[in-house]
Amino acid sequence: MIKFEHVGLRYGVGPEVLSDINFTLEPGSFHFLTGPSGAGKTSLMTLMYLGRKPTRGLVSMFEQNINDMSRAQLGALRQKIGVVFQEFRLLPHLSAFDNVALPMRITGHSESEVKSNVDELLEWVGLGDYKNALPLTLSGGQQQRVAIARAVIARPKLLLADEPTGNLDDDIGFRLMHLFEQLNRMGTTIVIATHSQYIMERFGHPRLVLEDGRLYMHDNANWVQKNIEGVY
Amino acid sequence: MKAFSLLPLTFSRNRKLGVGERKGGYDLPLHKSAGSHFLVLLVGLMSFLAMMALSATMVLGGVTQHWSSGLKNKVTIEIPAQKPGGLLRSAAEIKELALSVEALLKANPNIKALHILEENDIHDLVSPWLGDDVVLDELPLPGLVSAELHVRDKDKLESIGKALTEIASDIRLDTHESWLEDILRLAGTLKLSTLIVTLIIGATTIVAIAGAIRSRMAEHKADIELLHLMGASDLYITKQLQRHAVVLTLKGALIGVLSGLVILLMLSAFGGSGEGATIPGMHLSASQIIILLLLPGLIALIASQTARVTVLRVLGQMP
Ligand SMILES: Nc1ncnc2c1ncn2[C@@H]1O[C@H](COP(=O)(O)OP(=O)(O)O)[C@@H](O)[C@H]1O
Ligand SMILES: [Mg+2]
Repeated sequence: MIKFEHVGLRYGVGPEVLSDINFTLEPGSFHFLTGPSGAGKTSLMTLMYLGRKPTRGLVSMFEQNINDMSRAQLGALRQKIGVVFQEFRLLPHLSAFDNVALPMRITGHSESEVKSNVDELLEWVGLGDYKNALPLTLSGGQQQRVAIARAVIARPKLLLADEPTGNLDDDIGFRLMHLFEQLNRMGTTIVIATHSQYIMERFGHPRLVLEDGRLYMHDNANWVQKNIEGVY
Repeated sequence: MKAFSLLPLTFSRNRKLGVGERKGGYDLPLHKSAGSHFLVLLVGLMSFLAMMALSATMVLGGVTQHWSSGLKNKVTIEIPAQKPGGLLRSAAEIKELALSVEALLKANPNIKALHILEENDIHDLVSPWLGDDVVLDELPLPGLVSAELHVRDKDKLESIGKALTEIASDIRLDTHESWLEDILRLAGTLKLSTLIVTLIIGATTIVAIAGAIRSRMAEHKADIELLHLMGASDLYITKQLQRHAVVLTLKGALIGVLSGLVILLMLSAFGGSGEGATIPGMHLSASQIIILLLLPGLIALIASQTARVTVLRVLGQMP
């Protein structure tokens, strides 16, 4: 599903934020991505949703090297990825409904399909009464639920969520985690960046740990250093 | 686990403020952008000017056609009042010569019509220059025969000229060629300048639309990037901005062209145009008016393509 080989990323002329990242995620897997603030979780997610190209190394998505893909192919690939951004990135002038509807409209679904799916999902995340509300009039937690609904509405093959439960009470957080697990059981590959020790322990999925720009695998039993060969 | 529907509603149900409306299939709030009015106004002005330039070209085309078709097949034969030796011809002499000219030309199959100008015809011709109360008897007047040809042909004209000199060596055939050519050249230059003006107007409009689209995209950069990251095709994004550009320019162009049309109709009403007038008035045919009314469509098409190229160029910079 995702394969990173010797991937490095720097912003401008700054230091390498990610260096020599190597990992492979199998289709249908569920991972947590964790690490201290500023470790590069969001940056790694950005590479995974093709928001940036790495400054070095190879990234393959859906068994294809992204450098070999045409613009149209990249677009089609992005449609298969749902993203919950850390800062939500809702369109401020669009209602909750239209924000959630975006991925379906982009993929050309009919308005009647859009309506029934979006209504149902908004109802499910508890925002049935806020369909027409603009994001800025919603609380942080409500905005986060809109962002999550938007990420999952088009049934993505890969779901990337950047601290999706950060603004939520634990019980809402759990409910959303259950939604992610349900999607995972239906075949969606999932990566969730989180700080929450509590959630990681509660759900027990393997962890990708970022530290000082390097990635380590942690499968709950023992730490595995994936970068042993990373001697320059 | 608590159900979501039981969550406390922290947001008061003020349904007016903070209600999002997605207008006409736009994901971007393009209709709210400041500067839209400016573009409408500018396009309005430009289409007004384009309309004026275009109708000037059409009217000019009509005028030159009028002049050239009126003069093209006409020649004038002049029998000078003064003989080559310096002696004056008498009226009777001139009359006689004119009749022989007439006889000669009548035999020519290329001559459609012939007319010997009488004294009062000549009076009409010279009075604008000499005044109405001029007494022609005291003036040595040349004899004039005007002839209309079936076809204007250089060789045929030359042979007529030659035959005429056999009647009297100083009889001249005036083909109006030189001043007709001057006028046509002048009209051609005017047409060319209005064409250049139209092109400049078009280029200005394109630059203005491209600039407006660029600033619109800068204004909504984050939103456009997001659409792009969600996998929206370039076409999906382009279509929205293209539609925006078309709506604005159509608005402007309709305003410009309709007000231009009003002005033109006023000009043609006051300008007057008699059938035989030397300079026909601002007169446009129905088909020409239809062409002018198609102008907004053409401008909208230009706007649409300009927007498309601009958006694709900006999108091309996204990974
Ligand atoms: N757009 C950016 N431009 C420059 N530096 C950035 C940018 N985004 C992140 N960084 C830097 O990269 C490092 C990792 O940031 P980030 O990926 O956001 O970490 P995390 O999500 O784990 O907190 C930080 O030092 C941050 O300052
Ligand atoms: Mg982050």
